[in-house]
Amino acid sequence: MLKVKNVTKYYGEFKAVDDLSFTVDKGEIFGLLGVNGAGKTTTFRMIMNLINPNDGLITFNGKKIDYDVTDKIGFLTEERSLLTKLTVKEQILYYGALKSLDEETVLKRLDKLLERFNISEYKDRKINTLSKGNQQKVQFISAIINEPKLLILDEPFSGLDPINIELFKSVILELKEKGTSIIFSSHRMDHVELFCEKLVILVKGKEVLGGYLKDIKKDYKIKKIIIEGDVKISELKRIDGVINATKTASWYEVNIKDESYVAAVFDYLKTKKNITKFVLEEPSLEEIFVAKVGEAYGE
Amino acid sequence: MENKFKFLTKHSLKKKIKNKWFLIANIVVAIVAIALVNIDSIVTMFGGDFNKPLKINVLDNTGYYENIKTNLKGVEGYLGTSKLKIAKASDIKKSKKEIKDTKDILLVINPDDVNVFNVEFITDSYVDTVKYQAIIASLNSTKQSIALDLSGIDKEKLNGISAPIEIKRSFLSEEKTEDEENTRTLLSVASLIIALPCFMLIMYLVQMIGAEINEEKSTRGMEIIIGNVSPKTHFFSKILSSNLFVLIQGGLLLIYSGVGLIIRKLTTTSSHQGMEAIKEAADSLDLSGVLEMIEKSGILNKLGYIIPLIIILLLLSFLAYSLLAGILASMTTNMENYQQLQTPLMVISVAGFYLILISAMFPGAVFVKIASVIPLMSISLAPSLLLSGEIGVGLIIVAILLLALLNFILIKFGLKIYKVGILNYSESDLWKKMFRAVKEK
Repeated sequence: MLKVKNVTKYYGEFKAVDDLSFTVDKGEIFGLLGVNGAGKTTTFRMIMNLINPNDGLITFNGKKIDYDVTDKIGFLTEERSLLTKLTVKEQILYYGALKSLDEETVLKRLDKLLERFNISEYKDRKINTLSKGNQQKVQFISAIINEPKLLILDEPFSGLDPINIELFKSVILELKEKGTSIIFSSHRMDHVELFCEKLVILVKGKEVLGGYLKDIKKDYKIKKIIIEGDVKISELKRIDGVINATKTASWYEVNIKDESYVAAVFDYLKTKKNITKFVLEEPSLEEIFVAKVGEAYGE
Repeated sequence: MENKFKFLTKHSLKKKIKNKWFLIANIVVAIVAIALVNIDSIVTMFGGDFNKPLKINVLDNTGYYENIKTNLKGVEGYLGTSKLKIAKASDIKKSKKEIKDTKDILLVINPDDVNVFNVEFITDSYVDTVKYQAIIASLNSTKQSIALDLSGIDKEKLNGISAPIEIKRSFLSEEKTEDEENTRTLLSVASLIIALPCFMLIMYLVQMIGAEINEEKSTRGMEIIIGNVSPKTHFFSKILSSNLFVLIQGGLLLIYSGVGLIIRKLTTTSSHQGMEAIKEAADSLDLSGVLEMIEKSGILNKLGYIIPLIIILLLLSFLAYSLLAGILASMTTNMENYQQLQTPLMVISVAGFYLILISAMFPGAVFVKIASVIPLMSISLAPSLLLSGEIGVGLIIVAILLLALLNFILIKFGLKIYKVGILNYSESDLWKKMFRAVKEK
């Protein structure tokens, strides 16, 4: 289990991470969310023991993170971390050796992974000759070649087409099934929502929201109603408890302060004809994220 | 971690050597080194004005032609590879016509009541100073010997006056010998020749470390590497592999020079065929003569501690340059910035090299002696000055101690900068970040 406890990091006078705490259990996927500069990369760097926190403690399975522990961690950076003049095989052998793996083990695992990612033919090709998507696959392979107990994924789907995103998703879920703890960072909230049971939203290095996703959604008071039919936006907005009402291509979306205002909207619809849909939905993670981050910046 | 250090060092060294550019560079370096050793043969092979014989026409109106001709033959020693031809001229107009559009010289010797004879020196083109001075010296010598002859001094006394002065070289200290003096001069010239490849190897070292660290820094690959090995391990693996590479390259340079010397011997003395000729050439290399001279001079015993001291100085200097290069490379974010930051290092190295030349012009200069112990400069200056006897072993030891101190400081504080620098991708507040890193406990 990864445990981040009351961690604070300063860069000079600037506080990059402010008293951050969370845990990631075995076989759990954890989302670390935030806008650019929120402190995600600093947190990853502290977990990887690249920089030391000014305060607080980070442990993995009860042990302070050192170079023996990082051998069991896989790290996929947001930007390219490949030495592009090397071939795929040379690159993976290089990173494999840094994870204390012998050549035979690396080559055996590499063949399997190249096949899994459909890039076996690129084994002896120089990385700088590969497409962005294939480079991302090689980078992902380099992060999991040590069969990590903890995997840090910073924007793993960057540069991938929808088919390859599906491929990555399935590999990530396989790793989860095998018991790998995964920390996941992405700007795509739909991806986070799909994977993460637990998450933290960071704003200016400080946690503004955290916990299990289902609880977060449950606790988030603002709800959304989807309506299909002949209604008017101006009338919807006048209903007590309605925060906002918008029209999409196919339906109307109405945000209400909490569930107690559903009846008021329903009463309004009873006065209308041709209502074909009325659904009360949980807010999406993106909506929660935008609202929470907006709130924090508005302070 | 020890295995990772070995792996990183091996990987870095292998990457440098198992590289087509290493092969190409070495082919070029080998050709250039062999060519430089044989440069005189190459220049001669292509020919030029230097190769043409120098003709001196002498129009003698005094009757001293034979004396003048005998002394002028000595000028040949200053002409390098070209031959000297001396001919007697009879008609001035015809002689002037003959030397038109040539580099030939016409000397018109006229009688002179006071000065025995005077000379008109006629050419169609400019004459270089060495040739001109040699001819004038020869004519002066002829004039003096004729004047002495005319003065009626007996032959024995005349021979005594004309004979070169006898010099007996002696030293107050019994330890010093003339052979050692000559050997020191020879070695100081040799050390000058060695200083140039050393300078080249230092350039190699500084460039190579910078390029390698910047390559890893140009992607986030550095984060993966430093996530798995400590910055200290990473840093020293780069230092060790680069220094090993430079030593290998230095060894190869020696081999290329040796091949050049063998070729030189083969092309100048080949009475035998095949392997026998090579063996003969190798056996008769100039080096054996030099070694014999060194042995005779008795300096061999001193070389027993001079050479190890110079090797220590060389290795410590390489280490200092590589440590500095590594630290500077960690602070930069791309190769262009590194090129700018490493310029002072190059300037220091070049300054040391120029000071060797200056030391020959100002023997015993205190400034040069002080410069010879300054770290980074000492490698260029100190060996040459020690071998020529300008400085003693004491100053070399001071130079070594100062270098060791510099290396200690670079390791102690440089590592802190390196640790922060290699994971820094921003140019803003760079120096502030580095000073903060140095202050950190």
